Amino acid sequence: MITMDGKQYPWQPGMDVEQLLHYVEKPEQYAVIRLNGKPVSRPKFKDTLVPDNAEVVLIPMIAGG
Amino acid sequence: MTQLKVNTIKTLAYERPVIEKGYANQTLGIDLSGGTISINPVSQQMKDIFVGGKGFDLWLLWNAVSGETRWNDPANAICIASGPMGGTPAYPGSGKSIVTSLSPLTGSVVDSNVGGYFGPYLKFSGFDALEVRGQAGGDAVILIDGIDQKVEILDMPGLTDDSYALSAALTDYFGQGKKSHISVVSSGTGAKNTFFGCLNFTWYDGQRKMTRYKQAGRGGIGTVFADKGIKAIVARWNTVSLKSNNPDDLDALKTVAKLHSKEIVSLDPKQNKMASLGTSHLVPIMNDFDLLPTHNFKFGSHTGGNLIGSEVFEHIFDKGFDGCWRGCTVACSHGVRDFVPFTGPYKGQKVFVDGPEYETIAGCGSNLGIFDPSTILEMNFYCDTYGLDTISVGTSIAFVMECFEMNQITSEHTGGMQLFFGNRLDALELVHQMARGEGFGTVIGQGIRRMKEIFARDFGADAAILQDIGMESKGLEFSEYMTKESLAQQGGYGMALKGAQHDEAWLIFLDMVHNFMPTFEEKAEALHWFPMLRTWFGLCGLCKLPWNDIVPEDNKDTPEPAKVMKHVNWYADYFSSVTGRQAAPDDLIVMSEAVYNFQRVFNLKMGYGRREQDTIPYRAVGPVTVEEYESRQERYDQQLVEKYAVTVEGLSSEEKVAVLRKHREAQYEKLQDAVYKRRGWTADGIPTVATVKRLGIDFPEVLEVLQANGVTA
Repeated sequence: MITMDGKQYPWQPGMDVEQLLHYVEKPEQYAVIRLNGKPVSRPKFKDTLVPDNAEVVLIPMIAGG
Repeated sequence: MTQLKVNTIKTLAYERPVIEKGYANQTLGIDLSGGTISINPVSQQMKDIFVGGKGFDLWLLWNAVSGETRWNDPANAICIASGPMGGTPAYPGSGKSIVTSLSPLTGSVVDSNVGGYFGPYLKFSGFDALEVRGQAGGDAVILIDGIDQKVEILDMPGLTDDSYALSAALTDYFGQGKKSHISVVSSGTGAKNTFFGCLNFTWYDGQRKMTRYKQAGRGGIGTVFADKGIKAIVARWNTVSLKSNNPDDLDALKTVAKLHSKEIVSLDPKQNKMASLGTSHLVPIMNDFDLLPTHNFKFGSHTGGNLIGSEVFEHIFDKGFDGCWRGCTVACSHGVRDFVPFTGPYKGQKVFVDGPEYETIAGCGSNLGIFDPSTILEMNFYCDTYGLDTISVGTSIAFVMECFEMNQITSEHTGGMQLFFGNRLDALELVHQMARGEGFGTVIGQGIRRMKEIFARDFGADAAILQDIGMESKGLEFSEYMTKESLAQQGGYGMALKGAQHDEAWLIFLDMVHNFMPTFEEKAEALHWFPMLRTWFGLCGLCKLPWNDIVPEDNKDTPEPAKVMKHVNWYADYFSSVTGRQAAPDDLIVMSEAVYNFQRVFNLKMGYGRREQDTIPYRAVGPVTVEEYESRQERYDQQLVEKYAVTVEGLSSEEKVAVLRKHREAQYEKLQDAVYKRRGWTADGIPTVATVKRLGIDFPEVLEVLQANGVTA
């Protein structure tokens, strides 16, 4: 099971961040997420595996600067 | 208490006015040449049109200088102001000072927005703005003492030039046992010997029992400060509460302040963690998206990028409250305790470093090919100590390193230094040279625009390549974002009033990553709305970070998430509650439009402010060299084929660079057309008479400037 923004989602072996974001509406809005406390950016979504029991936080758009 | 030599040049006792709805309703004028102090009224028209902060600064500066005034003329003024909401302790980000002057780098108006307690203390002492003109002998200290109700011009010989030590000594001396009552503005030896000196603004950190610093970095106002012979400006004030601004509707102010403050406390830990990471959180993100400048903006990412990001600095930053104004819950002003420099006058001593922020990490780190946090910290520390802008220092050294690697300059010109990217020891040595006014540091300290002339004229370098890779616009060095793949951000830099700084428009993510503005018209609309809203923060004495660095959880579901309209509505309520002037979000944009267009006309008055000055080097637009092209060949080839219908087969990389350049430069021109039209400007980038009339800034002298530039309708 994965906890994403406080809600629980089923985990699957080999799941990457891009696949995980299929669970949420408008996944294109997320350019960065935090996976077990570490930031992961969109260019690395496909290459980043999500472990079981992961804690995921969706970071809103980066507007900084 | 520190013993110092003090000779009083002039003292003016005054009666402190009651602050009314955020305004002291008077400004303070200091003429150092004549040794005079004057108090001048703020008119209702000034408040209605210019609002406060940067608006007041610009109006004072406009009246102080003529079109012939140069940065080092006594007539040039340094203006510092808070704003009507400045000094509110409960609303996040409400302690900013805005500084303006004529810039040594650009020759025109420059403004810089800075934290620390000075602006609020100035206002609560009785002055919405301070205007300093003239020139003193070199040891002048201006004291604005709101507690004892006196303003003094002092001569204080023997003070150190070191900004850190100077501010600490003056805080101790004038604090009379209450160091938290003092805020000091100062610069340093680097400001004396370069054109990009910064100003350090202090506050006293009661928890750490030390003076802390934020910088008004851009445009060389510290250099103007040093040229005027000012050692420091000191403000003294005591109590601050929600009632200090005597707001029109205290209950409404309490309500909106609580809403925003609580939201930040709740959401920041889940979002960008500003309170623990500051802006360092941007480093790995920019690196991943190919936006972190490396090697003089040649590339946007580097394998070393993660060595200088938030994952490192979160372990280095000293724990504790880091707000640069009281009660700010963003609290992003982090620092490093017990850092030990390995070069320079503080070699081997433990010091506290205020920073680094993203810009310094990128400018003095990745853009120089330096991926070592210690060197970045040391550059940060010495730039602050010497009064140097870390952005201009970083971008200028990056330019020099690329020139060296391209053999445009040699060790014969650099005093023997082998200035390859990554040469951290010589990068540090250059900072020390700039401070001492020695060696090749004196050349770099003149900024990129002048270096391009020197290298071509005296060193035989290729002027065309220098133009392409010298990252300045209007004479101001670029801040630290890669813009090649964001046309909107190219416009954000090129069409910014003061030069290549991102504070007007940071559209890079919204444009490139989120694709929120695919058409020219949408980009033009963004290059209207965002600069106007961002300008508004500077009119009011506010920081823009609480607006969109922490956003509501449901923001993504709103019609225009990039604008974070829930917060804009709160800001309108905030403004109304303090000033009593009822405002809706659209009104904030119109307020800014008046000041923004006035500043554009001010540029025109100084001989700038036309389309030809809104240009950017090609390095900001696309790949200058084959090396750059080939490093992202798949991307560029795809664009040539899909976007411009170019057949790439059979073309050499040199030919592809040339073809891509032609298309990208044409796009930038087209963007300029669209933006000027949206802003109500002529095709040459000048506000029309109809625009200045609509905004209520059609003063006779404004119309004269327009007429002199051929604009009569």
